Amino acid sequence: MTEMLKVSVDRRTPLAVIYTEGYINNQGGEEIARVAYDLIDNDHKILLLNLEGTKIVNSIGISILIEIIEKMLEIDGVLAFCNLTPTIEKTFHIMGLAQYARIFDTEETAVGSLTA
Amino acid sequence: MDQPATSSAERLSWEDVLSSASKAGSERLFLHRLLQFFCQENDLSGAALYTEIDESFERQASCGVGSFPVSIQDGESNSGERLELPGGLLIYTSTETSPADLSGPLALALSSTLQAAILRLRLKQESFVVNYRGVELEALYDVGLAIASMLNLEDLGEEALLRAVSLLDARRGALYLRQDSRYLLDHTLGGDAKSELPLDDPQIQLILEDRSLETQDILPGACYLMAVPIGSDGRPQGLLVVADKESRQGVGKFQEADRRTLSLFANQVAIALETAHLHREALEKERLERDLELAADIQRRLLPDVVPRLEGYELAGWSRPARHVGGDYYDLLSVRDRRVTAVLADVSGKGMAAALMVSTIHSALRLLVNQTEVGPDLIQHLNQHIAESSAPNLFITLFIAELDAPQNKVIYVNAGHNPALLIRASGEVEELGSGGLPVGLFEGGVFEAGSFVMECGDLMCVYSDGITESLSPSDEEFGLPRLKDLAVTLKNRPLGEIVAAVEHAVTEFAQGQSQGDDQTLVLLRRQSLNGSS
Repeated sequence: MTEMLKVSVDRRTPLAVIYTEGYINNQGGEEIARVAYDLIDNDHKILLLNLEGTKIVNSIGISILIEIIEKMLEIDGVLAFCNLTPTIEKTFHIMGLAQYARIFDTEETAVGSLTA
Repeated sequence: MDQPATSSAERLSWEDVLSSASKAGSERLFLHRLLQFFCQENDLSGAALYTEIDESFERQASCGVGSFPVSIQDGESNSGERLELPGGLLIYTSTETSPADLSGPLALALSSTLQAAILRLRLKQESFVVNYRGVELEALYDVGLAIASMLNLEDLGEEALLRAVSLLDARRGALYLRQDSRYLLDHTLGGDAKSELPLDDPQIQLILEDRSLETQDILPGACYLMAVPIGSDGRPQGLLVVADKESRQGVGKFQEADRRTLSLFANQVAIALETAHLHREALEKERLERDLELAADIQRRLLPDVVPRLEGYELAGWSRPARHVGGDYYDLLSVRDRRVTAVLADVSGKGMAAALMVSTIHSALRLLVNQTEVGPDLIQHLNQHIAESSAPNLFITLFIAELDAPQNKVIYVNAGHNPALLIRASGEVEELGSGGLPVGLFEGGVFEAGSFVMECGDLMCVYSDGITESLSPSDEEFGLPRLKDLAVTLKNRPLGEIVAAVEHAVTEFAQGQSQGDDQTLVLLRRQSLNGSS
């Protein structure tokens, strides 16, 4: 099943969509952070994480996602999530991620709202 | 992501620093701005702020020129001059500024902010731990609801493994479910796992006893394994295996608290699996019930919906199956030359197999009675057909009679069935006994026919043993005498009334007791001379 998290990016203007496929754990989280920081360094201030291909996230992965959110807040950027499984969405709410990062049902609604 | 040193062209004002403190989640930015301002006011070319955490110093902010590592062990650094602050450390690059020069209100503000940052960091860490305990509790509670409502075993297995691996911060995992004398791999996550484990595999005991170093080949490549049984009744339904507990530093062993958490979780999974199995069985039963309903409908269609009309005679039939589909069958057929054939058959066994045999006998009889008169030859043909086409343990008791109305003569064959009753108009009762073994029992069976003349007012009553062997709550049988008495008493009443009376009497006798056999009745009466019954 899941070996390593696969991450791909669709760079648009003004936002970039990061797609994940697999387990967001320590390794997976680090890979997302690497991609996100690279985008930030290239002046992308709106990042959308599409987790359609992710069914599982652990506490280490969540802590890394929180760090990315904090980084986005520092640069007045926006990080949002879409296509979360109900379990992951509930976890994000309990862990407080939903306070600082918006959560959308679909990529389409997320892109529409973030670029409006 | 370090902040650049402030050039003269972009000098920060104190207001700039303060304004960065007003935004939500901007604590790190405020620290950066304050550090930049501090460097600017003290002519430092670069600096970094470290907080002391668990005997090491972690960088919280940096700016300007200099190489400042993320972490410093024991506060030793070659990156520049150091100034100890309450709760932390300032490393800066300047050859002209001594630590003693860096006192005053700004240093105090930096120190206070650093202490606030430490407190915030600790609060954040503790808040994270508390929140994640919430996630764990929610997962344990939620899993009972979520996976218990997940009735597809395939989905359930995957969801259970995902949640277990996530809950334990494991890097890998595997779910095994018991099948016969082994555990079969149901799902795996994060890598390969052994496809099956015999129930008596010594590795299982080792892994359950947390001697994980000796069991690594269950999940090849994993360093630290932990497993718990699913279900705790001594015969586990499966095994939940997780491997390599993650932290930011890498992977390590699971703790005893992790084992307790996984055991709690596995108990929930056991309940969910049991529920899913029961649901699957219920679905199967429901499907079978639908099939039986369909079969019952087909069987009802085999029974005559129209009773043949024959001048001077009356006919009636009634059947009540013990289950949806039964093994009793009756038919009333008009045949050539003002003749009518009445048949009552009782297939051994009940349910679908018996119903299929009923269908077979129905087809065979309909063909045969139009070609052959009722008698030993017809039953021998039928016997041969049934013996060849049915299962060895199935046989049929059968009573068949053909009335030649112009002659008022009845020829019958009783193949191992209960004796039919001939109630004469006088009230005398004759039993029409057996003329051979049940049909289908042996190939080449021999049958004998009997005959009698029906006088005006005579009533022939053919019944299945489901009537006479109907049981009361005290296990008393309804019995042949009760049926005889009823038939004699009501012999002149309309046939529909006799049928209703027998049905009522048997029902009353049983007093709601579930009956194990079908109940069937066929009546044939020659009308009295005046044409009335």
